[in-house]
Amino acid sequence: MSGRRVAVTGLGVVTPLGNCISDVFDALEAGRSAVRRLPPALARQLRAPIAATVQFDGAAHFPGAHLRQLDRVSQMALVAAAQAVTDAGIDFASERRERCGVFVGSSLGGVESTDEGYRVLYAPEQGRVKPYTVITAMTSAPAAWIGIEYSLTGPNLTFSTACSSSAVALGEAARRIGGGEADVMLAGGTEAPLSAGVLAAWDAMRTLATEDPIDASASCRPFASTRSGLVLAEGAAFVVLEDWQHALRRGAPIHAELAGYGLTSDVAHITRPTVEGQAAAMRAALDSAQLAPEDVDYINAHGTATLQNDAVETAAIKQVLGARAYAIPVSSTKSMHGHLLGAAGALEFAIAVVALERGLVPPTMHLNSPDPACDLDYVAEGARRGARLRAVMSNSFAFGGTNAALIARSADR
Amino acid sequence: MTTLATLQDILVRDYQVPREQLTPDAALTTLGIDSLGFLELMFKIEDEFQVKIPGDPPTDLTTVHDVVGYIDGLIAGRTAHAAAPKLRAHP
Repeated sequence: MSGRRVAVTGLGVVTPLGNCISDVFDALEAGRSAVRRLPPALARQLRAPIAATVQFDGAAHFPGAHLRQLDRVSQMALVAAAQAVTDAGIDFASERRERCGVFVGSSLGGVESTDEGYRVLYAPEQGRVKPYTVITAMTSAPAAWIGIEYSLTGPNLTFSTACSSSAVALGEAARRIGGGEADVMLAGGTEAPLSAGVLAAWDAMRTLATEDPIDASASCRPFASTRSGLVLAEGAAFVVLEDWQHALRRGAPIHAELAGYGLTSDVAHITRPTVEGQAAAMRAALDSAQLAPEDVDYINAHGTATLQNDAVETAAIKQVLGARAYAIPVSSTKSMHGHLLGAAGALEFAIAVVALERGLVPPTMHLNSPDPACDLDYVAEGARRGARLRAVMSNSFAFGGTNAALIARSADR
Repeated sequence: MTTLATLQDILVRDYQVPREQLTPDAALTTLGIDSLGFLELMFKIEDEFQVKIPGDPPTDLTTVHDVVGYIDGLIAGRTAHAAAPKLRAHP
C-alpha cells in the first residue's frame, strides 16, 4: 500500500466451519466440508437443496430488546467484530475515536427481515409488517451497529459489490490507514442470504451446484471438470487493521501486513467475468505491495466452482504470474465453507493470513476430476504443511464485474 | 387474568424483560422498549386483547401503568382518541 504500512492485528469469524478462526482453520486442515442438506422449509422448490449454514443463535449473544433490532446479518457481524477486537487486544476507550472507523461489505443486507416482511404482506392471511423492518433490513445496519457498539466516530461505510464486497471493504479500509486518514479500522463482511426467497432466486439463475448424489458435503467442486456451480453460505468475518507504528506502540500482536490491494472493473457483462479484469486486479495488488510475481507463495482463489469463474480465474492467474503460476499452490476454500457472497472476501483474506502465520496451505476439496482448462496446483490432495509463505494473495470477483485482490505479507519479513 | 398480568406476559415472552422489573411504574425505555418497540407492542396489544387502536398509537404512554390504563380504555370502548382511517402498507 502506498503511505503507511497496515498491520492486521485482529481476526474474528462466524462461519459454517466454526465460530472462531482456529476452529475454521482446523476444519480446513482436515478438509472438512460444512455443505449440508437444507431443512425442508428452505429446501422446497430448489433443484439442489444444499447450503453451508452457521450454527449460531443470536439469543445467546444479545438481550431480547436489542435482538429485535438486529437481523441475523448484523448479529453475526457484531459477534465476528467483537472477536476481532478481543483478538487485537484494543481498547477503543484509549484511542482517538474519530481516527477509528468501520468498513463493511455485504451483498444483500438483512435478507431475513425483508423476506419476513414480504411473507407477512403477501400471505393469504395478511399480517403486519414489523416496525423494525427498515432498520433491520438496511444493508448499512451491520456497519452502523458496530460503530455504535465501539463508539467509533471515524468513517463508517458499507460496500455492496456483490461477491467482492468485503474484499473491497478491507482494501478501502487499508487505504484510509495508509493515507493517514484513520489509525484503526474494523473491516469485514457479513451475509445471511439463506432465506427461501434468496435461495429460490439463485436457484432460478442456474448457478448453484447440483447435489452430489452420494455425499452432499462434496457438492462444491472448484476447478474440477465435474463442477456444477457454487454453494450458498452465510457468515461474517472481520479484521482489525491498524497503522503499523500504532500497532507497535501499543504492543499489539501483528498477524500480518495488509500489503496490497487491487481494484478493477470488468465493464463487460453483468455476470460473465473477464480474464483481463481479474488479471488487472491481481497486477494492481502486486504493484501496490511492490511485489513481483516471484514473491507470491500462495493464492486463495475466488474459485466459486462455476464453469465460468474457475477457467477465467486460472487464465488470469497465469497471465499475471507467468511460469510462477505453476510453481505455487492455489486453492479454493469455498469447497468447504461455501460461498459467503459479500462476506467471502473477508473470510478468505483471514484464512490466507492464518495460512501465512501457520505455514499451512488449505486444500481444494472434491477435486477428483481435473479440468484441462484448470491446470494449476490446486492442493487437491489435502492440506500442505510446513510451507514457507512470505506473501499470499486472496482473490474476490463479482457479478457486476468489481474485481478485488488483497495481498498479505508475513509480519516477520 | 388482569390487563397488567397479560401485558406482563407479553413483555416477558416477546421482549425477554425479567418479570420482576415489570412493576406498574417501570418506564418502557428502561425496559429496553424504544419507539419502534413501542409500535410493535401496540400491534401485539391489538392482537392479544382483541381491540382496535384508532388512528395513530398514542405518544404519551411512558410506563407500564400508562399502557395498562390505555388498554383498559380500549377494552371499555372509552378511548379518547378520534377514529381515523388506517393507512395500508400496500396499494
